[in-house]
Amino acid sequence: MKRLISVTLGILTAIGGFVDIGDLVANAAVGARFRWNLAWVVLVGIGGIILYTEMAGRVATLTKRATFDIVRERLGPRMALGNLVASMAVTFLTLIAEVAGVALALELATSVNYLLWIPMAAALVWLVIWRVRFERMEEVFGLLGMALVVFAVAAWRLVPSWGDVVDLATHPHVPTGEGAPTYWYYAIALFGAAMTPYEVFFFSSGAVEEGWTHKDLVTNRANVFVGFPLGGALSLAIMSCTAMVLAPAGIGVDHLSQVALPVAATLGRLGLAVALLGFFAATFGAALETGLSLGYSVAQYFGWPWGKRQRPVDAARFHAVVLVALMIAAAVGLTSIDPIKVTEYSIVFSAVALPLTYFPILVLANDPEYLGDQTNGRLRNLLATVYLVVIVAAAVAAIPLMIATKGGG
Amino acid sequence: MDDDPGVTRPAGLVIDAALELLDRQLVDSDDSLAGKVDDLELTPSEDDSHVLYVTAILSGPGALGPRLPGRLGRAWSALFDRLHPAEHPEPIRISFGVVQSLGPRIRISMSRHHLGVNSFEHWTREHIIRRIPGSGDASQ
Repeated sequence: MKRLISVTLGILTAIGGFVDIGDLVANAAVGARFRWNLAWVVLVGIGGIILYTEMAGRVATLTKRATFDIVRERLGPRMALGNLVASMAVTFLTLIAEVAGVALALELATSVNYLLWIPMAAALVWLVIWRVRFERMEEVFGLLGMALVVFAVAAWRLVPSWGDVVDLATHPHVPTGEGAPTYWYYAIALFGAAMTPYEVFFFSSGAVEEGWTHKDLVTNRANVFVGFPLGGALSLAIMSCTAMVLAPAGIGVDHLSQVALPVAATLGRLGLAVALLGFFAATFGAALETGLSLGYSVAQYFGWPWGKRQRPVDAARFHAVVLVALMIAAAVGLTSIDPIKVTEYSIVFSAVALPLTYFPILVLANDPEYLGDQTNGRLRNLLATVYLVVIVAAAVAAIPLMIATKGGG
Repeated sequence: MDDDPGVTRPAGLVIDAALELLDRQLVDSDDSLAGKVDDLELTPSEDDSHVLYVTAILSGPGALGPRLPGRLGRAWSALFDRLHPAEHPEPIRISFGVVQSLGPRIRISMSRHHLGVNSFEHWTREHIIRRIPGSGDASQ
């Protein structure tokens, strides 16, 4: 049981990256539109986030220093401030979307308009951050998020032959009727979502919050190798469900309610209820992750005391950042802005933030002054360098493709 | 530089201050985070060997402003001067004498509460955080 519980940091982190509100809809939309032709991107994303989060977690475990602390030290105040602004923009836009996403999940369950739920959702997220112990928080929302496994069950029931699916997924092509720019735009969106910077901020800060030490290097690895493949598998399960139910019927996805359609069609009311619970837990977990990450990254840039281990009066500025961010997120959500669109636009800021976040991690993971004999091996560095090239390429291509395809339209 | 016969090697520890001091995390005597090494105070030696000694660590937004580029740096410093209650605000100065150890974290032998008043921290604590019930309890 101890082993099972101790990987919840990885699970909660992965939920924020792979199945938060933007990704729930994006995965479903991609499945309905491209079937399995973009499944490979999710696998590439899992590999990249495992590689870099493990490094960030290893640095945090051995030095008690989370990612933004390192970013500031290695990039200097000026470049790190640029990164801070860009990654806070991504994280904040995502927070807006998650708060609205929690409200949308509650709307689906209660038929009460989501705008009425937004203030309640924001207040609940804040209350959990203010009062609930870090470990308890990740256990509850990480494990509740596992309700999304219902999509895997539905996919299992639906699939005529796994051989055909594997065959389709391993021979990807641009479907007829779709342009190559649109295909690549969605590929970058899925890759960017898997590699979002707040995942490493949250994971590395969480490692410090949980007080990991040298003997927890195994825990670090277990969290990364269980959490992210699980998150990625959930996102592939959602994609497969819509590929089998909605794609043949020519139904597109642009709302959370349509994501659950295949589950409702296959598993009935009970399945739908479990899916809604999963939506709620995943969006709530992602709201916690992004809200805390905002506080973590600002505090670590300026060297303020941070974290849930401290009494709030001892980490006043950290808690003030989280509180103000949640209030503004709720206010923006109440303008009835489309939360799905908001997460799509955050990709633009990811483009700037990703290379500036992952490069310092790679540098420090090779520094024996910090890591002693736990520095990267040659294979890991080779893989990390290849990924860094992919990240930069995706970053450069993201904005032109977004403009060329009018946001994947 | 050590091999340059024109320069006398100064007494004391020789380090690359920009690499091993700047932008590192300060940790105080209570083991809590106490800001960053935002800037350094350098003092020329009294003889004429042209050697600069690091005599203090400067910390807080007042020290960070001058290190940010151009217009952003000037705006930052102007905002700090405007919001700070003192007439001619100075950054927090930590004499190098209280520095205990160097490394990934710079440890100092004082409590951060005695370093000088950080007005922003004070304001957020007294006006926002302390007024919320439960602010004195750790969440565990």
